[in-house]
Amino acid sequence: MIHNHLKMKSLIAIIGLFFAFNLTAQVDAKVGKTLFRNYCAQCHDKTMKKDMTGPMLAGAQERWGDDEALYSWIRNSQAMIKAGHPRAVELFNTWKPTIMTAYPDLTDDEIGSLLAYVNGVADGTFGPPPAVAAVGADASSGEESSNSMWYWLLFALLAGLALILLRVIGNLDQLTAEKEGRPYQRKSLLESITSSGLVSILIFALVLLAGYTTVNNAMNLGRQQNYEPDQPIAFSHATHAGLNKIDCQYCHDGARRSKHAVIPATNTCMNCHAAIKVGSQHGTAELSKVYASAGWDPNSGKYIEGYDEMSQEDIKAIFTKWITDNYKEEKEVETLDESDVKEIEGQWDNIFTSLTNEQKKKVQGPIEWTRVHNLPDHVYFNHSQHVTAGKIECQTCHGAVEEMDVLKQDAPLSMGWCINCHRQTEVQFNENDYYKDYAKYHEEIQSGERDKVTVADIGGLECQKCHY
Amino acid sequence: MSNKNSNVWIGDKDLTRDESFIAISEQEFADSSLLETLGNEEVAESAQGNRRDFLKFLGFGLGAATIAAGCDIPVKRALPYVVKPEEIIPGVANYYASTFVNGSDFAPILVKTREARPIKIEGNAELGQGGTSARAQASVLDLYDTNRFKAPLNNTADGFQASSWEDLDKAVVAKLAGASNIRILTNTIMSPTTQAAVDAFVAKYPSTKVVTHDAVSYSGILDANEADFGDRSIPGYHFDKADVIVAFNADFLGTWVSPTEFNQQYAVGRQVKDVTNPKISKHIQVESGMSLTGSNADNRILVKPSAMGEAIAYLYGKLAGGSASSKGLTARAKKALDKTAATLSAAKGKSLVISGSNNPAEQMLINGINNALGNYGSTIDFGSAYLNRAGNDTDVAKLVSDMKSGSIDALIVMGANPVYSHAAKATFADAMSKVATKISLAYVNDETTALCDMVAPVHHALESWGDVQARRGSITMVQPTIHPLFNTRQKEASLMAWAGSTSTDMYETMQSVWKNTAFPLQSKYASFSSFWNASLHDGGVNLGGSSAASYSGNASAAMSSISKSASSELEISFFEPVSVGNGQYSANPWLQEMPDPVTRTSWGNYLAVPVSFDGHNKMLGMNGLEDGDMVELTVGGKTVTVPVIKQFGQMPGTVSLALGYGRTVSGAAGLNIGVDINDCVTVDNGYSQYYNNSASISGKVGTEEEYSCVQYHHTYGVTTLKDGEEINADEEALGMAYGLSGYQGALTDRSVIYHSRVDDLKDNLDNLHHKREHAQHLNDQQYYGGFDEAYEMGHHWGMHVDLNACTGCGACTVACMAENNIPVVGKKEVSRHHEMTWLRIDRYYYGDIENPRAVYQPMMCQHCDNAPCENVCPVNATNHSSEGLNQMTYNRCIGTRYCANNCPYKVRRFNWLDYTNADLFPANQPAFTDNDDSTPYGADNLTRMVLNPDVTVRSRGVIEKCSFCVQRIQEGKLTAKTEGRQLKDGDVKSACMTVCPTGAITFGDQNDKNSLLAQKLANPLNYIALEEINVRSSVNYTMKVNNHDEKLDA
Repeated sequence: MIHNHLKMKSLIAIIGLFFAFNLTAQVDAKVGKTLFRNYCAQCHDKTMKKDMTGPMLAGAQERWGDDEALYSWIRNSQAMIKAGHPRAVELFNTWKPTIMTAYPDLTDDEIGSLLAYVNGVADGTFGPPPAVAAVGADASSGEESSNSMWYWLLFALLAGLALILLRVIGNLDQLTAEKEGRPYQRKSLLESITSSGLVSILIFALVLLAGYTTVNNAMNLGRQQNYEPDQPIAFSHATHAGLNKIDCQYCHDGARRSKHAVIPATNTCMNCHAAIKVGSQHGTAELSKVYASAGWDPNSGKYIEGYDEMSQEDIKAIFTKWITDNYKEEKEVETLDESDVKEIEGQWDNIFTSLTNEQKKKVQGPIEWTRVHNLPDHVYFNHSQHVTAGKIECQTCHGAVEEMDVLKQDAPLSMGWCINCHRQTEVQFNENDYYKDYAKYHEEIQSGERDKVTVADIGGLECQKCHY
Repeated sequence: MSNKNSNVWIGDKDLTRDESFIAISEQEFADSSLLETLGNEEVAESAQGNRRDFLKFLGFGLGAATIAAGCDIPVKRALPYVVKPEEIIPGVANYYASTFVNGSDFAPILVKTREARPIKIEGNAELGQGGTSARAQASVLDLYDTNRFKAPLNNTADGFQASSWEDLDKAVVAKLAGASNIRILTNTIMSPTTQAAVDAFVAKYPSTKVVTHDAVSYSGILDANEADFGDRSIPGYHFDKADVIVAFNADFLGTWVSPTEFNQQYAVGRQVKDVTNPKISKHIQVESGMSLTGSNADNRILVKPSAMGEAIAYLYGKLAGGSASSKGLTARAKKALDKTAATLSAAKGKSLVISGSNNPAEQMLINGINNALGNYGSTIDFGSAYLNRAGNDTDVAKLVSDMKSGSIDALIVMGANPVYSHAAKATFADAMSKVATKISLAYVNDETTALCDMVAPVHHALESWGDVQARRGSITMVQPTIHPLFNTRQKEASLMAWAGSTSTDMYETMQSVWKNTAFPLQSKYASFSSFWNASLHDGGVNLGGSSAASYSGNASAAMSSISKSASSELEISFFEPVSVGNGQYSANPWLQEMPDPVTRTSWGNYLAVPVSFDGHNKMLGMNGLEDGDMVELTVGGKTVTVPVIKQFGQMPGTVSLALGYGRTVSGAAGLNIGVDINDCVTVDNGYSQYYNNSASISGKVGTEEEYSCVQYHHTYGVTTLKDGEEINADEEALGMAYGLSGYQGALTDRSVIYHSRVDDLKDNLDNLHHKREHAQHLNDQQYYGGFDEAYEMGHHWGMHVDLNACTGCGACTVACMAENNIPVVGKKEVSRHHEMTWLRIDRYYYGDIENPRAVYQPMMCQHCDNAPCENVCPVNATNHSSEGLNQMTYNRCIGTRYCANNCPYKVRRFNWLDYTNADLFPANQPAFTDNDDSTPYGADNLTRMVLNPDVTVRSRGVIEKCSFCVQRIQEGKLTAKTEGRQLKDGDVKSACMTVCPTGAITFGDQNDKNSLLAQKLANPLNYIALEEINVRSSVNYTMKVNNHDEKLDA
């Protein structure tokens, strides 16, 4: 019976799992998010609540009413317009000459996911996704808790055993005492527990534990894995490296030739953003900071003469005009009411505070970013060593930056972490002529004695490779 | 102890086995209590500990740790460029060709900049020999001097008041317009562009006359050459082509005319090219005090300062006939000069005679001697003459009298500082007060500028455009490598602005000067822009100089005008020190801390007094004086209190003292350090003579508290005596028990220095090789047989130091400080054996006790492959790399100092205090002088800009030492890796190697059999210091070979 019961249970579990899996495979808002970012975000507002190049998507499903028509619209809107579908024609007339790109390859499931994401964002049920780290942390802590449960069980078991043994010893003592005719007073449980021996063992264990914890925590002092500070500009690596697939080294051009990867200069931003003047996520709010730093007038599309000496009022006038014009265009209004003015004012205030600080009182000049990856001063690290000579991917140390909206420190950047990698990573031994000096290893590889040369093999664990 | 001449010793305390010295040398660190190391005695004395204090500190410590643990990590910011300059890659150094120039000193250089910030000077091998001097190395620190003038100033009753350029220019032009007699007082103008600016100024104000004053006067030689050759310049010398060099009190390896170039030439002639038929040049120095050059000489002839003219005349008489009084010469000196004359006669056309005298008559005699020897055209030529001295003592004297009479109404001071460096400084200052308008074009405040009404502050050379024509036929460029740090202006621009020029842009001015001068003289480039760009890239242009000057002098007539020897009891000679010059460099902490090569003193001038051997076992100082005793020195009417140093080779009846100290107005590092003696310089017939024949010294009047001579610090090459006999201490201890002999690690008979006369080289080499074989045999018996196979592949770094090339100039010590962020510790800390230099130059004497020769041994971490320091570290903070480097890991070090105690070479340094100024507690931060306004070195962000960002700044409580410039090794390897090629010889050069003007230091990969290092390692003269103790050092030295002639000593 017990046997059968167990079988039933596992069966149900398996079925349940299958369903769960199947369901997510059909419509998954998370999949929808990726699709939205890849296909839709260029034209449709990502909050779903504003019109951009294309109409706002909140309520689109209701407005269409007919899912089948909506699906075919998404796959090929031009065909529907030609076929004369009334809603299609109406939409075309509202938004022409803009037309929507066709996506004939999208499956029903994918469009379903997309709509689930759109609706989720629109009604607020699909909030911004929790940070990956949080998920990771949860998962690991879950694992840990199940692990520690076993430890506790084991502990309880051993403690029980110890008590039983104590009892047995007590009994034996009593027996011998009786045999020898000595009077014997059995210790109570309380007496046993509070005996000096046990207490000292406990204190010793506590000291050990305290020491262990202190050392562990002390080692982590100054480390900041998962550090995800706010930046003066809401720059999204996900948009640039992920969505638009810009090579990391286009902006971080130091990585291949210098110890520093280099935070790009503002004029590197201007290479693209002289053309792309309104951001897909934040509109004018964030990009105006770049222009205000570089001294570029987005109204005229020209660099401002004598920008360094310009007063803050004049600069404010330029950017307020730019923001206002865009705001009007976006809202399709001619005049602004009080709340609009307040919002524009707020946007300028944000720009101003992001670009200034206690020492720097004016918006002109460099943008003060917050450093995410910090190494202590006594560590020498060189990007070009790893990127150019070692041919290591950026993601190996920095994680999936192309998925991060806000940049986060992925690796612990601890010495143990470095050392581990140096132990495991092979150098470009045969590819790079530099290693010809290591003749013995080449011979060993030839003779089959050695199958690889790691960083550690050529001295990569030695102190003065990083500390000098 | 006998008066033998084969022994090597480091000083008189070593020779006499002074007990205090033995006590010091037995300890790695000078004995000082823990409390004393707090740096501040008051703090130390009041720091009484009790149980309550202990608990307080414990509580504070725990609390601080808890708070620190709970605190957020500080948020770090990063500022990118707005518009990134194309040539700057953050983290990668750029090199710009430029020229080091300060007064008369010059060197073609490459400036290493990081993130547009100059941090290191390297020699420009394309134009010069590639080496530089200590002064050139230290010039980068001057750029970040906190004492610099930061804006135009008016000198008012309340001190300097900041002004603006507009106001200053207006005021100056108004004053000059009303002036009828203007003088520009400058140091030697070597720059065609500066000359053009001066010319423009003179054109606008025709009453202007230019007066040139050099910190140390070379008027005598210039005027003599004008009379004899019609060319007022100093000819080019070729020490490399001379078989016999005779120098009369000319420190040509230290300070005379162009020491960096002379060092390089000199070393060529000192090389033994073939040990089977060894030949080197012969160098005879005639002097009274031991100069750097004299200490390198094969023979020194002792002649008192006032009789130097007689010595020259005597030699002239022997070579060309004629005679003059020689009553000031000792019989021994005369005999030696006779032999010298014979030696010179045998090397006609291949000899060189020079003199440092500032007496034109004596220089004319020297010209006569060289002419008689046929040296013009072979070892001396005017085609490449030096133009870096043009000072004119007569003009300066005339200026003083003109000012006194009130006929000068405007004086513009440009670089010269006569109120400090002129012999009649008080008169000069007094005369200056009669001038209505005094304007100074100065970099930092000095004695002369302090008397001026207005200051137009100038750029540092590293912020300027300019050019330098230090030698006829070659012009080098100065280009800015950093944006001006302060509101300063180039002196040329100021002159041009006051002359009413429309453009004061120096780049344009310089181009127009070059277009009219240098461009037409060359034929390689057709267009000016390609010529300009090529010159800018190379750092200058060599146009080839020629001169039609020929000798037409009458030396015999000059015989009567030489200085008269005096018969006073004591004469004093003044000399320009290698480090701080005649005060031009005294505000530079690196140069103050650099020990004088000969006396090994730092932070101040020490009176060198002669020592004499008492025939038993004592070296007596004059008047019974000991090192560090204070005495009252009276010269003429002036009495100063100076510390004393006993100096081997100082002529009895003479003393010597360095100029350049005792500045009363200067940057903090040089202020009131040592004593100023410039006003005791004798003026003879208008020419400054750097000696005085009426000197007297008292007995001991006190003891210098902070005696900062490093000679007895970190010594390892010492001998052990028992009952006056040298013994092998280890044999003594162990041999009795085990009957061993030749036991390893013996304290006597150590291989530290080997030397040989060139004639005895064969025997001495056999002896050396025998010794080495014996040591290697013993080493092979050891448990540690070496792990040579571990270094077979990859790299195995090593070094070779050629002691025959090393002259001890000290450039490498300063280069090492600049490259490796070595802190300046200041006078007090030096006196406590706490100097932090990774590379020191040990000075050893050998030969005759009363007139020895010196050998200089640069000593740095030997990177032993069986290093004693590594075994004793309890935390493994020092260990060995697979490339043979002895690695020091600061962040692991806990400061037990076991390693330093166990280092046989004494090259490890401990950060006793917070020398780099990272600490919160002021008591841990030593100020480098006792002046109230002296801040700890590097206490401000400006000074810290000079730090090398690739090298960790060490904190208190850790050991540090030479790393073989591991940052350069890693950089060289990385460049090879990114270019996908094998490492080439020369990809990695240590800082000491690149700076060395003589090429004495060679660094490289011992595994590269075709490298320069491999060639040097094949030299049969090589030995390894302390080879017998089996530490397997990676540094080879060479046996010092000299050309000593015993007949000259007789």
